[in-house]
Amino acid sequence: MASNAVRLLLGLELRRLADPVRHPRPGAWVAVLLPAALGIAALWLGAESVRPDAADGDGAIGLGLLASSPVAFWAYPVLFRPADDALLRRLGIPPRASYALRALRLFALTLAVVLLLMIPYAATGALGTVPIAEALAAGLVAWGAALFALSGAAMRIVTPGRRVELTSRMMGPDPELVSAGPLVWAPLPPVIAGAFAARLVLVGALPPLVWTVVFASAAVGLAWVGAGRFARALPRFGPQANEMAYAPPPRAGEAGLVIGRGLARVLPQRVGAVRARDAAVMSRRFRWAGRITWPVAIICVLALLRAGESAAVQGWVTGAGALVLAMHAAALIGLGRLERGGTRWMDRTVGLTARDRLLGRWAAAFGMALPLAACVGITWGLIVPDSSGWMWLLAAAASAAVGSAASLAAAGR
Amino acid sequence: MMRDRSAPLAVDGLRKAYRKRDVLDGVTFALRPGEAVALLGSNGAGKSTLLGCITGDRLPDRGTVRLCGHDPFTDLAAAAQCMGFVPEQPFLYPELTVGEMLQFVAAARRMDAGEAGRESARLLDLLGLAGAESTLCRELSQGMGRKTAIIAALLHGPKAILLDEALNGLDRTSAERLTSELDARRAEGAAVLLSSHDLDFVGAWCSRGLMLQPGAQWRMLEGDEWEAWRRAPSLGLDPGALTRPR
Repeated sequence: MASNAVRLLLGLELRRLADPVRHPRPGAWVAVLLPAALGIAALWLGAESVRPDAADGDGAIGLGLLASSPVAFWAYPVLFRPADDALLRRLGIPPRASYALRALRLFALTLAVVLLLMIPYAATGALGTVPIAEALAAGLVAWGAALFALSGAAMRIVTPGRRVELTSRMMGPDPELVSAGPLVWAPLPPVIAGAFAARLVLVGALPPLVWTVVFASAAVGLAWVGAGRFARALPRFGPQANEMAYAPPPRAGEAGLVIGRGLARVLPQRVGAVRARDAAVMSRRFRWAGRITWPVAIICVLALLRAGESAAVQGWVTGAGALVLAMHAAALIGLGRLERGGTRWMDRTVGLTARDRLLGRWAAAFGMALPLAACVGITWGLIVPDSSGWMWLLAAAASAAVGSAASLAAAGR
Repeated sequence: MMRDRSAPLAVDGLRKAYRKRDVLDGVTFALRPGEAVALLGSNGAGKSTLLGCITGDRLPDRGTVRLCGHDPFTDLAAAAQCMGFVPEQPFLYPELTVGEMLQFVAAARRMDAGEAGRESARLLDLLGLAGAESTLCRELSQGMGRKTAIIAALLHGPKAILLDEALNGLDRTSAERLTSELDARRAEGAAVLLSSHDLDFVGAWCSRGLMLQPGAQWRMLEGDEWEAWRRAPSLGLDPGALTRPR
């Protein structure tokens, strides 16, 4: 029965994936291709700075972390938060069939991450067996371990009368957070296991590609065990995952839009209103994008002050800044996708034009990137000889513009 | 009574709280074959939460739910076969056409393709969607999307039909036709639990009403009490008449 359901779900997935070709819409293509092209171009152009040395032990661990982290952290939404999860459960689709499809989705994501990581090696002519084997080993181990660990965490959470682990109790007084503790810690073992696997590839006992095959077999085994855990957990954990996504209301004093304060005073009123709304929605719905800005800005400034003349430090600061701007762009596109639910309709009825929305969204995005661009730009201009810190402001403005355009395209008609 | 497999739906001692705020407490009732029960209450009273706990979309803190005798949290496939649910905001795959969506639902429910095709065509025609099979779900109006979700819920002949504000947004003709269809299903033994703010309609059509009020208070109105409510429908009840949270 489960195999029939897997075939049915695979057919549905292929049909959905083919939608941009079957029913082409410029917005859908722009929202996907534009950020992808920019990301690939950034990896290609900054190849020398962002490429760990795969022949070195530390470099192998670095490459392993880069490959395993996105897989481990994306595993939760892929496994437990698809938009059609409730519908599939109500239709009686066996949990093992849902698991099979979601494991395949995560596998595709793993391969995409590995391909992206190989771009800097290809750009510098350093693409060879070793970096491919390291990244593949790390990605595959993270894939299997994440499926295993997250399914196990979900199972533990829905086990009645479970003993709360010490690691969960350490998380503070909020009982709901403590109860979700296993999920909070679950991505860490896959990240570490991925880095460890990449490092092991360098051990000469086996050829690199043989190591990869060994790790792939282990990953498939872990994923297989994860299927049973997922099937036991899903009927009770599925609804719980939905409730865990609840965003608490803003604290007293945070509610209410602030329109036209500070630099936003120069904006026309309608644009200012869009900016205030988009900034509020992004800060609540995509809190992670805003939270990353200040810590990265501070670390970058400290690094520049300490060793800003070093080309390697300049490379890492550039890479970190680009990563933050890319995260902001991802949040902007996510905001656009949210608007498919009806915000555009509301905007039209109150008379907001496409120009108002684009400018307002750009201003909100630029405001989010400004702490990073200003702090790093000023420090860069003072420390790095023969350079201009204005480039940081230009980069932030340009990335906000591209993200905003892609966001409006993602919002659809 | 709670373990009676002939009852399309049986709920016993259901409790649900959100971050320490009780929404449902001790809710107990069963649907008999062929009856229609109204789910009443003001906004935020817990109607959608109750339906979510019944359909397995929300995890109750305590209590049991049985759909044709099956627990939706342990016997998902059998419980799913028993129920047809239209949520307040139904999910339709935006990339599929109406026809493809219904084909997928029928295949997921393991219906015979020919039978599913005939039933889909009949229901599409009944609700005025004939000819819309090739329209993409993302291009449907709200009412058309709701009709598609209703057809998807009724396609397999469920014994427990759960409708969360399902009549909202339907034109008068479609609403009347849907009511006739539901009457026919009831005559065949299906039971309907209907949440609606159209108090006159539910008063005329339903044989009992489950009243929910903020503060996790609830009461099943039946017999003389239901007759009295039908004469003067409202969403408020004498607080003394409501079940107190335990």
